[in-house]
Amino acid sequence: MSNIKPIADLSYRNYDGPLKKPGSRWWVIAKNGIRIALKKKALWGLMFVSAWYYLVMLVVLFFVQQVTSSNPAGAQAMKAFMERLIWPDQFLHGFSYAQLPMLIIALMLGAGSIANDNRANAMLVYLSKPCDKREYLFGKWIGIALPIFVIMVVPTIIFYGYGALTFREYGFLKDAWLLPKMLAIIPIAAIFHASIVVGISSMFNQARNASATYAGIYFITNFFTLLMGGIWASSRGETPFPVKHLFYASIDGVLIGVCKAIIGTKGSAPFGIQSPGGVSQVPAPNVAAILGIALLISIVFVLIAWRKIRAVEVIG
Amino acid sequence: MAHENSSGVLSYARLVTVARISNLTVRYGNFTALDDLSCEIPEGCTGLLGPNGAGKTTLLKTILGFVNPTSGEGVVMDKNIRTDGMAIRQLIGLMPEQDCHIPGMTAVGFVSYAGELSGMPPADALRRAHEVLEYCGLGEARYRNVETYSTGMKQRIKLAQALVHGPKLLLLDEPTNGLDPRGREEMLDLVRSVSHGRGVNVIVSSHLLPDIERVCDRVIVVIKGKLRTAGTIKDLKKLAGQPADVELREPNLAFANMLMEKGLSVAPPKGNVYRVQSELPPEELLRVVQRTALESGAQVRGFETAVRTLEEVFLEALTA
Repeated sequence: MSNIKPIADLSYRNYDGPLKKPGSRWWVIAKNGIRIALKKKALWGLMFVSAWYYLVMLVVLFFVQQVTSSNPAGAQAMKAFMERLIWPDQFLHGFSYAQLPMLIIALMLGAGSIANDNRANAMLVYLSKPCDKREYLFGKWIGIALPIFVIMVVPTIIFYGYGALTFREYGFLKDAWLLPKMLAIIPIAAIFHASIVVGISSMFNQARNASATYAGIYFITNFFTLLMGGIWASSRGETPFPVKHLFYASIDGVLIGVCKAIIGTKGSAPFGIQSPGGVSQVPAPNVAAILGIALLISIVFVLIAWRKIRAVEVIG
Repeated sequence: MAHENSSGVLSYARLVTVARISNLTVRYGNFTALDDLSCEIPEGCTGLLGPNGAGKTTLLKTILGFVNPTSGEGVVMDKNIRTDGMAIRQLIGLMPEQDCHIPGMTAVGFVSYAGELSGMPPADALRRAHEVLEYCGLGEARYRNVETYSTGMKQRIKLAQALVHGPKLLLLDEPTNGLDPRGREEMLDLVRSVSHGRGVNVIVSSHLLPDIERVCDRVIVVIKGKLRTAGTIKDLKKLAGQPADVELREPNLAFANMLMEKGLSVAPPKGNVYRVQSELPPEELLRVVQRTALESGAQVRGFETAVRTLEEVFLEALTA
C-alpha cells in the first residue's frame, strides 16, 4: 500500500513577518463590519430608498426646468414654482424622509454587531488579541456610523451640487453655510443611530432581539412624535407648551430637531406643494438643548455597551 | 529537574524562561484566587493542573494581562504583566475552552481576520490563514462557514486562530474537549508537534491527565491558589530511592526471601510484580536480581524502574 502524503510541506511553520503595534485594531474591526454589510444586497437597495426624496426632487426639478425652458411662458411658471420652494427645507425633507430607511440600515449594520459576538463567544477571540475593549467598541461603532454617514452624505452632496450649478439665480446659494450645516448634521445622525444600535446590540445575544428592541423604541416614540405633530398642526400652533417640545421626544424627533435647529428652519410642505391654508410646522428647538439631548442619548447607549462588553473568561 | 532558587522560586536549569511569576497574589474582593504564587514556566510544553477553583483561570488571565495582581510581579516573554498586557497578547495565542468564532465568516476569513487582529498585514494574514488551516487539517473545509462546523472542526479552528500570527506562547484550554477518540489523538498530535521543535511554547490547561502526560514535558500543579508542585513529568513520577519493578512468570516466595537476605527491600507482590528497593545503582540491581532469579529458579519476565502515574502525583499534591 502506498503511503499517501501531500507533495507540499504541511508541517507547522512559524510566522516571522511584520506585526503592527497595538492601537489600530479598531479599524480592522470597522473594516470587517463594513465588508460584511456591503455583501448584503438589501443594503444597496436601501441606499436608494433612503435617498428617495432627493431623487424625486432631482427628477421634478429637471422636468420643470426642461419644460419651462422650452416654453416662452415658462420663465414665469418656473419663477412661481421656485418661489414656493424653500431650499433649506428640501434638505430637511431629504434628511427626515431618510430616517426610516436609515433605521433599517442601522439595524442591518448594527443589530447583530455585538449580539452575534455575544452568541458566538467572539469576545474571547477579540480580547485575547492585542485589542482592548475600547478598540473593540470603537471599531464596531465606526463600522456602523461610517456607512450611515456615507449613505446619507452622498445624495445630499449630489442634490446640493445640482442645485448650486442650476438654481443659483433662484436663491439656492442664499445660505452660503447650507452645505457645511448639512455636513455637520449628517455625522450627528450617524453617531446617534450607531450609538443606540451598538448599545442595544450589546444587551442581547440574538440580532433579531436587538432589532426588535430598537425598532420597537423607534416606532413607539415616533408614533408619539406624529401624535404631537398632528395636535400641533390641527391647533395651528395654539397648543399647550409641552406639545412643541414633546414632538422631538423620539429617535426621529431628535434628529429632525437637530436638523431644524442647525439649518435654522421650522420646515414647510414637501416638494414645494402649498396646502390650502398651509400646515403649521412645529418650530425648531433650541440648538444647544437638542444637541445636548442627542449627545446624552448617544453617550448613555455607548456606556451601556461599555458595561455589557465583558472581559475574557479564559477558562470556564 | 526543578529546584528552588534563593528567592524561593521554582526554576529550571539550562532552560529559557517563558514566564516568571513572583509572589503573585490576586484577590477578587475577599476571595484570594492566587496566594503568593511563585513559579517559572520554562520553554517547551507545560501542563497546568489543578482542581476546579484552584486558580488556573486566574493564572492564565494574569499571564494574558487581564487581571491586575493585588501584589507580586510577573514577566511573560520579558513583558511586565502589569503594564504590557497588549504586547503580551501579541506574543500569545489563546485557544479557549468554549466554542468561539466570529459569526458569518468562512474558516479562512475567520482565521485571516484573527491574524489581522493580531497585527498582521491583510495579505500576510490571508496567506498564513491558508497555511495554518492546512496544518490543522481544515484545508478542505476552509471555505465553509464556521457555524456549520462539527465540534471537532471547531476545536481545530480555535487552534488555527491561535496559531495564525505565529505566537511564541500558546495557551490551550482543554484542547480535547468534546472530541471523539480519533479527533483527540489528532489534536494531541498537533499540539505535540507544535510544541516540540517548532519554537512555540505551550501551556495546556486540562483535567485529563493522560492528555497532559502525552503532550507535556512539565507540569505545574496549582491548588487553592498556591503552587503545590512543579517539575518535569519524568522527575515527578520518580519514586524516592528509585525502586525497580521485577515481573516474574509466577509468584516466587524463595526469590523474594533471597533478595531480602541480600539486604534488599521487597514489597509484597502485586500479581507477579515485586517492587525491589536498594541503594544499588540500577545496573547493579539488575545483576543482583538476575543472579537471585537463577539461584531461586524464578523466571524474570520484566525489569523496569518503578514510577508513579501522573494521577498518583496529582493526588499526592492534592492531599499534601
